Amino acid sequence: MATAALVAEDVYKRFGSLEVLRGISLTANEQDVIAVLGSSGSGKSTFLRCINLLEIPDSGKVYVHGELIRMKEARNGSRVPEDRKQVERIRSKLAMVFQQFNLWSHMTILENVTEAPIHVLKRPKAEAIELGESILEKVGIADKRDFYPGHLSGGQQQRAAIARALAMEPEVMLFDEPTSALDPELVGEVLKVMRDLAEEGRTMIVVTHETGFAREVSSQVVFLHQGKVEEIGPPDQVFVNPKSERCRQFLATNY
Amino acid sequence: MEYLIQYSDRFIDGTIITIQLLVTSSIIGLAIAVPMALARVSRNPLLAGGAYVYIYILRGTPLLVQLYLVYFGLGQFEAVRESVFWPILRDEYWCGMIGLTLNTSAYVAEILRGGIMGVPHGEVEAARAAGMSQALMYRRIILPKAFRIAWPAYGNEVILLLKGSALVSTITVLDLMGVTRTVFSRSYSLDLFLYAAILYFVMTFVLTRVFRMIERHLNRHLQDREQIEKRTAAQAA
Repeated sequence: MATAALVAEDVYKRFGSLEVLRGISLTANEQDVIAVLGSSGSGKSTFLRCINLLEIPDSGKVYVHGELIRMKEARNGSRVPEDRKQVERIRSKLAMVFQQFNLWSHMTILENVTEAPIHVLKRPKAEAIELGESILEKVGIADKRDFYPGHLSGGQQQRAAIARALAMEPEVMLFDEPTSALDPELVGEVLKVMRDLAEEGRTMIVVTHETGFAREVSSQVVFLHQGKVEEIGPPDQVFVNPKSERCRQFLATNY
Repeated sequence: MEYLIQYSDRFIDGTIITIQLLVTSSIIGLAIAVPMALARVSRNPLLAGGAYVYIYILRGTPLLVQLYLVYFGLGQFEAVRESVFWPILRDEYWCGMIGLTLNTSAYVAEILRGGIMGVPHGEVEAARAAGMSQALMYRRIILPKAFRIAWPAYGNEVILLLKGSALVSTITVLDLMGVTRTVFSRSYSLDLFLYAAILYFVMTFVLTRVFRMIERHLNRHLQDREQIEKRTAAQAA
């Protein structure tokens, strides 16, 4: 079998005395859509942020297409990346979509989408703009290209943020509760875009509370509880016949 | 009024000197302030500490004292008098410029630091997640955003600098205030100070206008969409 798109091995993370992740492992193959579920405080967002090193795991390994993100010990004993350039290069392949969109508010939507392709990937400007426009078309906000983020609805902003992620032509897309900050009537438009991406065969890891989406779209569901993988499997198995009592309870109240 | 007219050439020269001092010291001051602000927010304790001391000293002492120290103080040292900088450092105009520049650089550094701290954390995180290096992130996201946040406070500082520049007259620079004092000492005509005040006021007025125009352009993302469209339509027509 080909190398997995992303492997996390035994990831630990603590904040002070709070152990948030207690040994999480996960493998995402090409075209996998992995839904990460769990109640708040279970460590799902932290786990996602450990993958692209927005948080530095205390121990554990992350491989992207077989390439290990190398870590070393700093003088003060904390763990730091061995090679910043490697981390930057890997981050540019792992696009992230945030709960709060985090669009760059002083740039227009098109500028948001072309910024990193031009300055990080060094794509020619004209090419980046062309690609950016086609992606905005795809997520349905081509007419908003010259608007600033503040002039868009939450759903439109999140679609713009997805477009910004797509413009990096990422190998894996990380979604951190992409619909949790949206008004209920705006959730659908964002989920639809994500569904289209899944159907295209994009490799995605989605931290979400949308159990319906997880069930219908994902190829694999991971249920986290207190920093550990409590249940993992294809959605039909996890949703219909969960082995863990906690997972059963969670689904009973959230699905 | 007759003295204002009689010495109008001098008043014009003085006003030009004031404007020159303002423009040069605010530009060079800004150029110093940017790295100072970056040093101030740096995680390197040496850089941050150095910038902190620089800012603290310059903000903690009166501009007048700083001007005296540059103009009278530096010349006390043999080494300074014999250095290649002496032709500059013995000239009152350059001393005034140096004093104003150093003073404003500290204030602007602190204003910029506030701007940098005000950049939304999420936007910085998005830049990191996109694979931007620290330098690129500062250049493309953090500083442009920090400038927009700091702009109104920066405009205020430039106006304070304009008014503060009148102090260079005490080290014999013939700026607008210096000229006013010279002409006054010949004529004892008190209304000269009123004319000087009016000239300063006009400069301040123009400055505020310019700053507000630039602010409107920089922060157009904060305005109503409708306003922007209206203006674009008006410009097109």
